[in-house]
Amino acid sequence: MRGLLLPLLSGVALLAAAAFATLAGDAYALRLATTLCLYIGLASSWNVIGGFAGYPSFATAAFFGIGAYAGSVLQAGYGVAAPLAWLSGGIVAALLAAGLGYCILHLRGHYFAIASLVVADVLREVANSWISLTNGGMGISLPLLSIGVEDQARLYFWVFGAVAALSVAAAWLVDRGRLGFALRCVEQNETAALMLGVDTRRAKRAALVLSSLAPGIMGAVYASWVSYIDPTDAFDVLLSVKPIIMALLGGVGTVAGPVFGAAAFLALEELFWRNLLELHEGALGLLVVLLVLFLPGGIRLVRPRRLLAFRPLAKPGRTP
Amino acid sequence: MIAQILANGLLLGGLYAAIAAGFSLVWGVLNIINLLHGSFIVLGAYGAFFLHTAAGVSPFAAAPAVGALMFPLAYALQTMVINRVVDRPVLITLTLTFGLNLILNNLMLLAFKADYRKVVLDPPLGILDLGAIVLPVDRLVATACSLLLVLALWSLLRLTRIGRAIVAVRMDRDAAALMGIDVRATYALTFALAASLAAAAGCLLAPLFPISPVASATYLGKAFVICVLGGLGSVPGVVVGGFALGVMESLGALSLGPEHAGTLAFLLLLLLLLVRPSGLLGRRGFD
Amino acid sequence: MHISRRKILAASGAVGVAALIPLRASKAAGDVLRIGAPLPLTGALSPEGTKLRQGYEVWLEAVNKAGGIKAGSSTLKVELVFNDYQSNTPKAVQLAEKLVVDDKVDFLFSPFGSGAAKAASAVAEKHGVPMLASSASSAEVFDQGYKNLFGLYTDNSTLSEPLADLVAQRLPAVRRVAILARNDLYPLSLAGEFEKSAKKRGLEVVYFEKYAIGALDHSAALAQMRAAKPDWIVVTGYINDLILARKQMGDLALSASVVTMINGPAYQEWIDAVGPLAENITTASWFHPVLRYRSEDIFGSTERFVELFKARHGSEPDFTQASGAAVGVILQQAVERAGSADRAAVRAELAKGGFKTFFGPISFGPSGMANSYVPPAYQIQDGKVRVLLPDEVRTSDFRAGVK
Repeated sequence: MRGLLLPLLSGVALLAAAAFATLAGDAYALRLATTLCLYIGLASSWNVIGGFAGYPSFATAAFFGIGAYAGSVLQAGYGVAAPLAWLSGGIVAALLAAGLGYCILHLRGHYFAIASLVVADVLREVANSWISLTNGGMGISLPLLSIGVEDQARLYFWVFGAVAALSVAAAWLVDRGRLGFALRCVEQNETAALMLGVDTRRAKRAALVLSSLAPGIMGAVYASWVSYIDPTDAFDVLLSVKPIIMALLGGVGTVAGPVFGAAAFLALEELFWRNLLELHEGALGLLVVLLVLFLPGGIRLVRPRRLLAFRPLAKPGRTP
Repeated sequence: MIAQILANGLLLGGLYAAIAAGFSLVWGVLNIINLLHGSFIVLGAYGAFFLHTAAGVSPFAAAPAVGALMFPLAYALQTMVINRVVDRPVLITLTLTFGLNLILNNLMLLAFKADYRKVVLDPPLGILDLGAIVLPVDRLVATACSLLLVLALWSLLRLTRIGRAIVAVRMDRDAAALMGIDVRATYALTFALAASLAAAAGCLLAPLFPISPVASATYLGKAFVICVLGGLGSVPGVVVGGFALGVMESLGALSLGPEHAGTLAFLLLLLLLLVRPSGLLGRRGFD
Repeated sequence: MHISRRKILAASGAVGVAALIPLRASKAAGDVLRIGAPLPLTGALSPEGTKLRQGYEVWLEAVNKAGGIKAGSSTLKVELVFNDYQSNTPKAVQLAEKLVVDDKVDFLFSPFGSGAAKAASAVAEKHGVPMLASSASSAEVFDQGYKNLFGLYTDNSTLSEPLADLVAQRLPAVRRVAILARNDLYPLSLAGEFEKSAKKRGLEVVYFEKYAIGALDHSAALAQMRAAKPDWIVVTGYINDLILARKQMGDLALSASVVTMINGPAYQEWIDAVGPLAENITTASWFHPVLRYRSEDIFGSTERFVELFKARHGSEPDFTQASGAAVGVILQQAVERAGSADRAAVRAELAKGGFKTFFGPISFGPSGMANSYVPPAYQIQDGKVRVLLPDEVRTSDFRAGVK
């Protein structure tokens, strides 16, 4: 029951939010809910490789961006219908992840982090220079859907919501299944896991591919949602960093953590952004710093007394 | 023309060495990727800019002073904030420096405005015409100073007690602690030293590049590439990595067109990570 | 697990609710005209975002000091609703939508630059909200047949053509043109126009290359350019690119009869940052404080606007700052003529055009792009911006030769 309750609750919460947003017809709530689904999908996907397996992946931006570009090129260049283009975004991202799996998963720690970070940089430069395909720095304008404004807003909410729900469900299944066990072995002690006969390479590759699907699809849907993409924004490094902060906020390596983390992050981000015109980035930075210093286990570990006691949480002993 | 482009690449490479030195030091010794590094460089450049506008101090002369100013600030930051999580996994430390960088960058944006500035040397130092190639004197001086900075770091690590302590911590933290080295204090010293280097490098860049908080990400990106190119946490590695990147970017711009120079550097970085994560020099250990 | 699930839910719920409550947009009642303006106040475009905002403010203060905009029998106070989109185009699009849907703005000012204006124009079109683009000059922005997009700037070719004419007339010996462009919508489109203008006059384009966004070194490109022995050098990009490019041209002793750089030299910061190297650089932009237009807007004349701007911000307005105020006065005149803030009526007035502003006479072509004035061309002489063209506002004569 323990494993079932939290995902179930998150599902219910999502549905409630959805019902609220759709019924109220409030465009602002709807957009916030849509963004929430996007964040949940990204954070939950990242958690599979970053949380379960403990591999500090910064590749979310690469998956998101390549999905966005695949979807946009297919729609704007080849007239492919939107749903098919969105799915293709996920497939292309998964192919990229599969390829990356063979290349960079033997790296550990900082080296893996950097390698995964650089992938987005390379792809951004490619998108910038492959002008015949991507229109380069000019960006791609996507065709508008021929349905009403409010219907569009609802449609995008449901699509993002579905992808988010699927990614949470996938994380839950992984968590309970053999893959989750293998990934946790990797996270605890990869060398020992290898010696015990766990196929860590396959597990890691599967995790990376799984963590790329939702960001790829969401990238493609996002491109349609905002109807324009360019290389700088599609491969924005913040897309890699934000899901990590969300997962940290909610609790890394748990199924429900990224969901709650995404909600809390969105709320804070929106709060800062709306109220602090020129200081919101700094405020977000401060939040991140405080989070790392005082709540490395996420908000689910809030204990007021600990907040007051200013002492290092780190236990001695090195984790590479 | 090839000679000219090679010369440009080498001059740039020398600057790159100074840009990356502090970053490499922190990564090597503290095992932290310091995302604040680019902002430290920009902060140093502002220091040089304001000293130059207010008191007419040459940015080259300002470099040691600005570096020294940076030292206590960075020391405090390390002891009060970063040391608290220094032993935690890469995800935690990286996220921490990311957050700190957001704060610092936002503060710089508020304090200095985003407008681009630059130190204009008066009188200009002119150019050195060697017939086949021309060399800008200010860049030549900046490159020489930057190599001097790196040399100073190298001698400090080699010849002083503090330096030996840093190297010892780099090689084996626990053994160093057993030998009576205060590891936390050494971390703070290292971080402060690296930040001073970054700020001094920023001063050297002030007469050459436009200064703005927006520029910090570019410097950080270069530091990444150079560090991996040359090999992590090694002073000679930074020099090799810096020159390699400078020359490669220049030759890449020549052969593939200027818009691909950056792509080339990133691709190379990825490739090197895959086949030889220890860098071109392939040495580990800080000597 | 040493904490109950209820606590978790309570915690996240509390955060969510706490955040939502102050976020509700207040729907102001009464006679207020609300304009939405997404601005890049942080990130790569923050210098430009700040400038636009300064321009908006000068207009806003002038209008509200005068009581507001007279629309028919009522007077509308003006309220500008703006937020930061962090120099991220998708965010700008979302923000534009938020401003329309949640904040119920009547009209939109576009985000900065061509790319973001193009992206946001889809939102404006979707909701039928007229949007004034303060800083988009690439024809590609206006090629989608939208009815709600009106651009203050004239096409990029209006920057290249007069300069090409000038060069062809004054320096018949100039034959070889070299162009270096930032690989980005506006600078690339502008560079393309210079290439066309040069070829049209029988000049030979001996070098045309692009540099990456965020390039830290132009020396290889410039060394190649020098080897091509150009008489006329054109570099396009933003202010930081052009500071660096000009510095490195000096480093390589790259000289030519004419050196044109856009956008940068018209900004005082650019001149300050490159120092003596600014001398004799030519440029063009849509506005400069030396212009002398009589206007029917709230300012009355270019001089008066410059005066007010100086009083408010302590410096003369450059073209981006002026653009912010210019979209304001255009919208104001359209609302006054329409006699109401009704979007359809104002859209019709905007399309009719004929606005006499401190920025220049403004009318929009069929695509929505201004086509009613020719942007002046300038040269930096003795550290000051001097006007070369058009003849009515010329302050100095063209000087050949850039060392």
